[in-house]
Amino acid sequence: MITMTHYLVFSLLLFCISIAGIFINRKNILLLLMSIELMLLSVNTNFIVFSHFSNDITGQVFVFFILAVAAAESAIGLAIIVALYRVKNSIEINLINKLKG
Amino acid sequence: MDILSILFYLVASVIILSSIALIVVNNTVHAALLLVLIFFNSAILWLMLQAEFLAIVLVLVYVGAVLVLFLFVIMLLDIQVKKNISKKMYLLFSVFISLIMFIELYMVIFYHDFASIQKEITISELGNTYDIGLSLFTNYIFSFEVTAFILLVAIIAAIAINLNVKQRSLKQNPGKQVLESKESRLKILKDEEL
Repeated sequence: MITMTHYLVFSLLLFCISIAGIFINRKNILLLLMSIELMLLSVNTNFIVFSHFSNDITGQVFVFFILAVAAAESAIGLAIIVALYRVKNSIEINLINKLKG
Repeated sequence: MDILSILFYLVASVIILSSIALIVVNNTVHAALLLVLIFFNSAILWLMLQAEFLAIVLVLVYVGAVLVLFLFVIMLLDIQVKKNISKKMYLLFSVFISLIMFIELYMVIFYHDFASIQKEITISELGNTYDIGLSLFTNYIFSFEVTAFILLVAIIAAIAINLNVKQRSLKQNPGKQVLESKESRLKILKDEEL
């Protein structure tokens, strides 16, 4: 029998793997965006697990909003990457220092 | 072990293994395709939790739109696959950080009595999609409209960032004409300067 704890440990594992992914792939901005998508997925899974086991639909409504915002975020992120490539001719993160921050 | 447990372990192990593969693989195209696999398997997991609407939305919106966008950007940018020159220290550091997070949150999960908040799971007669729609259009109607606005902003921003307007035809710019002053056009020169 699959209990709530199984699902929670699963989404915890997914979250920790994507945290490690952000550290490992800090050179490649596309893989960074993919790791962020993975983190959002694990958070959404957590929401759905709690929604299912406490018999409350609100968690699923929240996941709906998170999906919409995440889609907007990745669309703008990819647009910025394309614009950056046009200026710099590369998308390496250590070359992104235009603002001299 | 019943069939649902076997399905859960199968799907969960596919997701975990392919997410580990995603973070260590260097090829961006392979990573995007692994992400497609992960999203499909997550949709199966969400179906097992009786979230049918969101499972379909995940496949249609995420795999159908966002990941195709990812693949388009990868195709357009022509990135050379470079060897990942991450130092070994960073790898150890990342494993250390995620291990600490895992242990802490694992303790939270195991020492918290989640059985107390669990309720009798009832399957809605009207269906999951109906329930979400009912909640969305009564209690959360304002948030729903804000979400629509966020998507509009995303569309406009994504276009505006990448739009480079080239002037192809000769036309008058009324704003510029109005702002033009006498001094910017006429210059009075004295006799000696000529």
